[in-house]
Amino acid sequence: MSEIANNEIMNETAVEEQLPADAFEFAEFDEKESEHIAAPRYSYWGSVWKTFIRNKFTVGLAIFIIILVAFAIIQPMFSGYDPMIAPYINDSSHKFQSPSLKYLFGTDNVGNSVFDAVFAGARNSIIISFVCTAINMLIGIPVGALWGFSKKLDKYMIEIYNVISNVPFLLLAMILSYVLGSGYLPLIFTMTCTDWIYVAYFIRTQVMIIRDREYNLASKCLGTPTWTMITKNILPYLISVIMTYVSREIPALISYEVFLSYMGLGLSAKYASLGKLISQYTSFMTGYPHLFWIPVGILACISISLYVVGQRLADAADPRTHM
Amino acid sequence: MSNDREVILSVKHVDVSFDNGGKKRFRAVKDATFDIYRGETFALVGESGSGKTTLGRAILRINELSNGEIDFKGKRISGKISKEEDTNVIRSIQMIFQDPAASLNERATIEYCVSEGLYNFHLYKDEADRIAKVDKALEDVGLLPEHKSRYPHEFSGGQRQRVGIARAMIMEPEFIVADEPISALDVSIRAQVLNLMNKLKEEKGLTYLFIAHDLSVVRFIADRIAVIHLGRIVEIADSEELFAHPLHPYTVSLLSAVPMPDPQIEKNRKLVVYDNSKRDLSGPKPVLQEITPGHFVFANDREMAEYREKLKKMDEEKKNLTNQ
Repeated sequence: MSEIANNEIMNETAVEEQLPADAFEFAEFDEKESEHIAAPRYSYWGSVWKTFIRNKFTVGLAIFIIILVAFAIIQPMFSGYDPMIAPYINDSSHKFQSPSLKYLFGTDNVGNSVFDAVFAGARNSIIISFVCTAINMLIGIPVGALWGFSKKLDKYMIEIYNVISNVPFLLLAMILSYVLGSGYLPLIFTMTCTDWIYVAYFIRTQVMIIRDREYNLASKCLGTPTWTMITKNILPYLISVIMTYVSREIPALISYEVFLSYMGLGLSAKYASLGKLISQYTSFMTGYPHLFWIPVGILACISISLYVVGQRLADAADPRTHM
Repeated sequence: MSNDREVILSVKHVDVSFDNGGKKRFRAVKDATFDIYRGETFALVGESGSGKTTLGRAILRINELSNGEIDFKGKRISGKISKEEDTNVIRSIQMIFQDPAASLNERATIEYCVSEGLYNFHLYKDEADRIAKVDKALEDVGLLPEHKSRYPHEFSGGQRQRVGIARAMIMEPEFIVADEPISALDVSIRAQVLNLMNKLKEEKGLTYLFIAHDLSVVRFIADRIAVIHLGRIVEIADSEELFAHPLHPYTVSLLSAVPMPDPQIEKNRKLVVYDNSKRDLSGPKPVLQEITPGHFVFANDREMAEYREKLKKMDEEKKNLTNQ
């Protein structure tokens, strides 16, 4: 070790002896230079993307879910599946066929293609859950942000929350389905009319955690109005937790829709839905179990991959993972 | 201190208390009274939890007063004031925060952090004017215009604190509350920030309320010092006067805790521990009263007599030293 060090020193002296004095010049001291940041520019969304694509499994899952959702949206347009139409209902040879090239998932008790039925159902379930999530978030986030900020509003909102959260959801869903009937809009209303307050409550708690941090006091000293504080100081910090919430909310709402349709409180007979298919096929569980397991499997694929991708996206949105 | 100087901020019998739900109220600041003159650096010194930050925040109207009032340039700024006044006060009184890591919005660029105040009151003619103002503010604190598009976490502690200073300066304030602006900084860059604050003070004619617990720093930067203990201001005096003639036992104890860079002196330094319970607190209730011009001490009549005695002794000792 010391030998190497000695050699190095000797080499250095040897080099120095060889160098002429005029090869050196005085470097000027530049104060500005010491302030310069050499690191490449940081971009938040760029870093989110980089962190997200680092995990190949998640990227694969994301591609899978995009294809699945796109297929579920597009395929029913071409298949023309309608749960009210059963052209082969009197043709018993056409019922309960096993999976084949013509009918990838076989046929059901009325002779319709299970493949078409499942994707027509998935389409409605996905659309409803996406729309409901969007509505819940659009109402819940602003209300929750104001709720967390204003102590005056908190006094009233917390009472409203206590009342609403103590009403059993199933009871509410039953009453609403009797009053409003069944259909797309009534179902969306049922799934959003109280659900936004849970989003708002969640956001309120998060806002309260970071509300009194020093940088918010600093903004207050600069006279920043509350709404600007929310959009510039608070919500950017919450992107990651909001994404986590969304990634739980979408699968949860798909399950809700399935549950309500299964209970007969969801969509009316003219709409296909995963929940209705599952409830319809449950009776053939012993004889033709694939009829039950195929829609359940598709439901699981959609929910789980949406959840996992959403969680990873939420992780990537957290700047602590960008280092 | 001569009386012909203009009082910029006047704190009158201010109480700040926090109630924790029940009847128990915690008085963080008790009956604070002092004036700050235009152009000076007024330091507020005390240990942790003595209420110095609370008092600073009360001046910025983050903490509400439970008693007393605060006047800025002769106008009351505490309690409810008109919107116009409010805007004025926000622009005139700014704050420099203790922790540069916590006081900048991590999700916003430096450009936004510095222009925030400009946006709020639309203090610029057009975009170009705003950019020019931000560039100027950054340059004033020794940062580069290219830093505008960076995020706070890319900066060192000293640079971040300077961004915080630029953010306050861009509002063109007259009065700045600096809440331990260098406590969270590395020792090697403290001087840099202090010198910057002094430079800006001279250039822009600022007045500082400098909150600190480090007496050696305070001696360097402050013109006058107020010592606060358990929410109570116990002594106010000119900086040199306070270091030469500390009267209140708490001040004496605080000064005895300053480490000396000279090993000979350091070896003989005696630490005076202040213990309220061991003091003779008999007699009428103490109040803050002037003992020599500009030197106030929290005492009752009996203690005042003692302090006068002490002052006389100090003067004699000094005379003896110079005579030798």
